[in-house]
Amino acid sequence: MAGPVFGRRERATEASVVVLDRDRLLVEAARRDPTQFDALYRKYLAQVYAYAIYELGDHHSAEDASERIFLRALAALPRFREQARPEDGPEASTFRVWLFRIARNVVANERRSRRRRPAASLEAALGAGLAIPDGTDIEADAVTRDEASHALRALNALPDDRRRALTLRFVDEMTTAEIAAVLGRSEGAVRVLIHRALGAVARDLGRDRGTATPADELGGTP
Amino acid sequence: MTGEPEVDALVADRYLDALLAAVDRHADDTPADAALDPDLRAAARVLRASLVRVHPSFRFEERLAGRLAALAAAQSRPALAAAGGGPGTISAFPGSGPSPLDADPLLAAILLGELDPTDEAAVLHAGAALPGPGARRPLIVGGAITSAAISLVGVAYVAWRASRPTVGRSNRAMARAARAARARRAAGALSSIVGGHGGPA
Repeated sequence: MAGPVFGRRERATEASVVVLDRDRLLVEAARRDPTQFDALYRKYLAQVYAYAIYELGDHHSAEDASERIFLRALAALPRFREQARPEDGPEASTFRVWLFRIARNVVANERRSRRRRPAASLEAALGAGLAIPDGTDIEADAVTRDEASHALRALNALPDDRRRALTLRFVDEMTTAEIAAVLGRSEGAVRVLIHRALGAVARDLGRDRGTATPADELGGTP
Repeated sequence: MTGEPEVDALVADRYLDALLAAVDRHADDTPADAALDPDLRAAARVLRASLVRVHPSFRFEERLAGRLAALAAAQSRPALAAAGGGPGTISAFPGSGPSPLDADPLLAAILLGELDPTDEAAVLHAGAALPGPGARRPLIVGGAITSAAISLVGVAYVAWRASRPTVGRSNRAMARAARAARARRAAGALSSIVGGHGGPA
C-alpha cells in the first residue's frame, strides 16, 4: 500500500505523518480489490441517498440516482486522485467530495431530463421522516411537523445553487470547504451563497407565519 | 449584522459550524456572535431540525450492494470473464438483477476511462445524447457499445478493455477484424499476381 503523501511536514518530524483523507485506507483497499468498495458504499449510502431525495423529491428517482452514483464511483475509482491539502485538516475526506461531485452530475442530469422542480412531492416523499417528534407532547409534535413542512417549502423555493448548498450543509453536514469543492466555487462564494439562502428561508418562514418571524416562533433568540 | 456581506456570511458560517457540531451534544442551540441576525439564527435552527437525513430501504441497500459486488467482481477478474470461463468465472450475485450497464448507459465509457464522472460539462453532454426513457436501441458512448441486452460479460469485457495498455495501433475488435480482412485481400491479390494458388477474395 502506498504511504501517505500529504501532511508530511518535514523530514525531522516524519513520524508525525498526518493522514488527511479519513477514507484513505478504505479507498486503497477498494483500489486493490474492488469488492472492498462495499465498505465505502455502506458508509456513504445514506448521505448520497439523502442528497438525492432532497434534490429530486421522490424515493424512486433518489434510488435510481444513488445506484448510478455508486456504480460510476466504483467504475471510476482507479482514476480517483486524493487532493487533500494540509489546511483541510485531519477530518478531510476528498473521497467524499469526489463522490458528491459525481452525485451532483447525476442529479443534474436527472433534473434536466425531467424539466421540473421537486417541490410538489418532496414533502410527501419524506413523509414521516419530517423532523423527529419526541412523541411525548402531541402539540409540540404538531408544531415540529408544521415547522418542518414550512422549512421544506422554503428550501424548495430557493434557486438551485442555494438549495443545493443548504442541503449539503444541513443534510450532509459538509463544511464550507467541502461544499466549495463539490460545487466548484470558492469558499467565500459558498459562504455568501449559504448566508443569502438562510436569509431567504428566514423571510419565507416569516411570511408563512404571518407577521411572526422565525425568531419569535422559537421564543426569541438573543 | 455588520452590513458587510462577506463578514456577515463568515459570522453565519461560524455559527452553523457550532450549531451542527452541537448535534453530538444533543444541544438545541449554541452561543452565537451578537452580530448574527436573530432571524437567520432561528431559520438555521429550524433547518437543522427539519432537514433530516433519510435512509433508503434495507431492500434497496442490499439490491444495490449486490449490483456493486457484481461489477466489482467483473473488475477484479476481467480477463477471465472476458475469456468466458475458467476457475474465476463470474456468476451474478443472487438478486443482483440485470447488468449494471442497464442501470447506467454511461457506465461503459466511465469504465473505459473515456468519461470522467466528475466532469460536469462532459457528463451533461453525454447525458444529453442519450435516448429518452423507454428507448432500447444500442448506443455508442466513447467507442463502447452499450445496450439493454449487454450482460455481465459485457461489463467484464469493458473492464478488461480498460485495463489493457493502449499501444500504437488500435486494439479494437472492429479494427482488428478490418486489418485481418485487408491482409487477407492483400494476400489473395498477391497470390493471383504471382500465379499462386490464390487466396480469399
